[in-house]
Amino acid sequence: MIWLTWRQFRTQAAVAAGALAVLAIYLVVLGNQMRHAYSTDIVGCLPEMCTSARRDFEDAYGVPVALAGAVLLGVPALIGVFWGAPLITRELEEKTDRMVWNQSITRVHWLAVKLAVLGLAAMAVTGLYSLLLTWSASRYDQLVGGRFGALAFASRNLAPIGYAAFAFLLGTVIGLLVRRTLPAMAVTLAVFAVLQVVMPIAVRQHLMTPVTTTVKLDLAAMSRSDFMGIGPDGARIDGYTMPGAWSLTTTSKLYNADGTPYTAAQSEKCHGSNQQEDMACTVSQNIHFSYTYHPADRYWRFQWIELAVFLGLTVLLAGFALWRIRA
Amino acid sequence: MTPIIETRDLGKRYRHKAALTDCTLCVPSGRIVGLVGPNGAGKSTLLGLTCGLIAPTSGTITVLGDRPAAGAAQLARVGFVAQDAPVYAGLSVADHLTLGRRLNRRWDMALARRRVEQLGLDPAQKAGRLSGGQRAQLALTVAAAKRAELLILDEPVAALDPLARSAFLRDLLEFVAELGVSVVLSSHLLGDLERVCDHLIVLAGGRIQLAGDVPDVLAEHYRLTGEQAEQADRLPAGAEVIHTERTARETTVIVRSSVPITGAEHADLEDVGLAYMTRAAVASVRGLEVAR
Repeated sequence: MIWLTWRQFRTQAAVAAGALAVLAIYLVVLGNQMRHAYSTDIVGCLPEMCTSARRDFEDAYGVPVALAGAVLLGVPALIGVFWGAPLITRELEEKTDRMVWNQSITRVHWLAVKLAVLGLAAMAVTGLYSLLLTWSASRYDQLVGGRFGALAFASRNLAPIGYAAFAFLLGTVIGLLVRRTLPAMAVTLAVFAVLQVVMPIAVRQHLMTPVTTTVKLDLAAMSRSDFMGIGPDGARIDGYTMPGAWSLTTTSKLYNADGTPYTAAQSEKCHGSNQQEDMACTVSQNIHFSYTYHPADRYWRFQWIELAVFLGLTVLLAGFALWRIRA
Repeated sequence: MTPIIETRDLGKRYRHKAALTDCTLCVPSGRIVGLVGPNGAGKSTLLGLTCGLIAPTSGTITVLGDRPAAGAAQLARVGFVAQDAPVYAGLSVADHLTLGRRLNRRWDMALARRRVEQLGLDPAQKAGRLSGGQRAQLALTVAAAKRAELLILDEPVAALDPLARSAFLRDLLEFVAELGVSVVLSSHLLGDLERVCDHLIVLAGGRIQLAGDVPDVLAEHYRLTGEQAEQADRLPAGAEVIHTERTARETTVIVRSSVPITGAEHADLEDVGLAYMTRAAVASVRGLEVAR
C-alpha cells in the first residue's frame, strides 16, 4: 500500500520538493544578506546613527520577510487544497475506488496508509520551510521583535507544522463528505482561511490567562508607547508594549498615585518649552496605568499549545475519516 | 457447498428512490451467473452490494458465507470489475500488476504476466491510452490474478464492439475453466450472456423477476404460437402466462409450467428473459397509470 501511495503521490511530491528548493535558495540568500547587514550596519553603529540604521534595516527587509511569512501561511492551504481535497474525490470521480477498494486490503487500511504518508510529507515540507524562514529571519525578528504578531507567530518555529497536518486532513475529510474535487477544494480553502483569521483574532490569546499589572509611567514606558494625551474621556496612553510581550491592551487610562484620574489641568502644569524637562516633569507626577499582556517567556508555550491544538484537531479528523470510510 | 450469494429481503434505497427491493436469492456454487435486466434495473446496485462497495439499507446478504467486504480475507475471495472497467489512467500496465501484487496476498504474478502477453498489451503503456477492450482486459486480469473464488463483472462487454465482445467472452470462458472460479456477469442484453452462463437472474424495476439454473429455466418455459396461443386459457393447473405478444400476423405466448404442455415447444432463453422484462415494464407503466 505504501508503494501505491508513493506511486500516486510522487508527481505532487516532486512539485513540492522543487518549490521548496527554490524557496530554500531564496531564504538562504536573504538570510545571509540580513546577517551581513546586521553585523556591519547595526552591531557597530555609531550611537547617533543607530536609530536610522535600524529603520533602514526594517525598511529594506520588512517586505521580503513578511512575504516569505505569507507564503508559509499559504503552504498548508495549498496542501489542503491540492493534496487533501482530491485524495478521495479523485478516486471517486475516476471510479478507481471500485478497483482499489476491491483489492485484498480494507478501505480503513487504504486510507490509514494514505493519511500517514501524505500527512507526514505535509508536515515535513512545511516544517522544513518554517525552519529555513525562522533561521533566515532571525536577525530581523531579533531587531524588530513582535514575534507574537499574527503573521510572525504563525510563520515561525512549530506552529506551521500543526497547520499543515490539519489542513491536509481538513481537505481529505471535506472531500470525503462533498465527494467532488472542485467544490471540496473551494470549501477547504474557505474553511482553512476562516480558521487562520479566527485563531489569532479570537482564540489564541485565551489559551493562557493573561497577566494584568500596573505600570508606572516613566521615561522607559514613554519610549515604549506610541501616543500619550488627553482625549474627551480623560488622559490615556496608546500602544504601550513591554519588551517581547504580547500586549492585549492597546489603550489605557492614566491614574494618579491615589487612584484618581489624571486630569488635563495636571498635564498643563508640565507644558514648558523644553520637551525633556516636560517629560521629567510628567514622570515626577507619579502616574500609572493598567496593562494586560502575555509575558515574553510564554512564546514557546504558546507555540507548543498551537501545535498541540492543531495536531489534536488533525487526530480527530483522521478518526472521523477512518470511521466514515468503512462503508 | 456454501452458496456464492445468499440474500434475504435485500433492499437498497437512495435518497429518493429504491434501487433494489425485497431481493431474496440463493445462487449455488460453481456457476457462471448471468444477471440480466434493462438499464436502471438495479444490476449495478446488486453487484455493488455483493462485493461490499455499498451497504444494504434493509435485509441481509452473505457472499461465500460471509458479509461482503467484511475484512481483508473476505475481500481476497471476491474479485470485482466495475462497469466501464475503471483503471488508473496515469499508471502503466506493469504498474497495475505491481499494484495487484502489493495489495493481494494470493496474487498470481505468473498468470497476470501470461495474460498481458497473450493479450498483446505493452507493459510500459499507460492504462489511460488503452482501448476500451484492452482496458476491460487489463481490469479483468487484475481481478483474475487475485485468485479469488468469485469473480464479479459488471457489464464487462457493454463498451466493446461485437467482435471484441465475443473474443472477450471466449477468453473469459477459457480461464474461468482454468481457474475454477464462480462468476457473476451482468448485461442488459441477454444475447451476450446466453452462450456463457448456466444460471440466470432476471432483474427489472429493482426486483428479481426470475432466478434459476439455465436447464431448469428452459425446461419450465414454453412458447405457444398460432392456434395454441389462442387456447392459452386452457392451460394445465399451475401454469402461468408470463407475457403475450400480439403482432398483426401472429400471437406468441410465453408460459411457465412445471407440468409439461403437450405439443408446445420450449422457449429459448432470449424469449424467456425478454418476456419477464417486458412484463415488469408493462406492470410498472400500469402502476404509474393507477397512481395517477
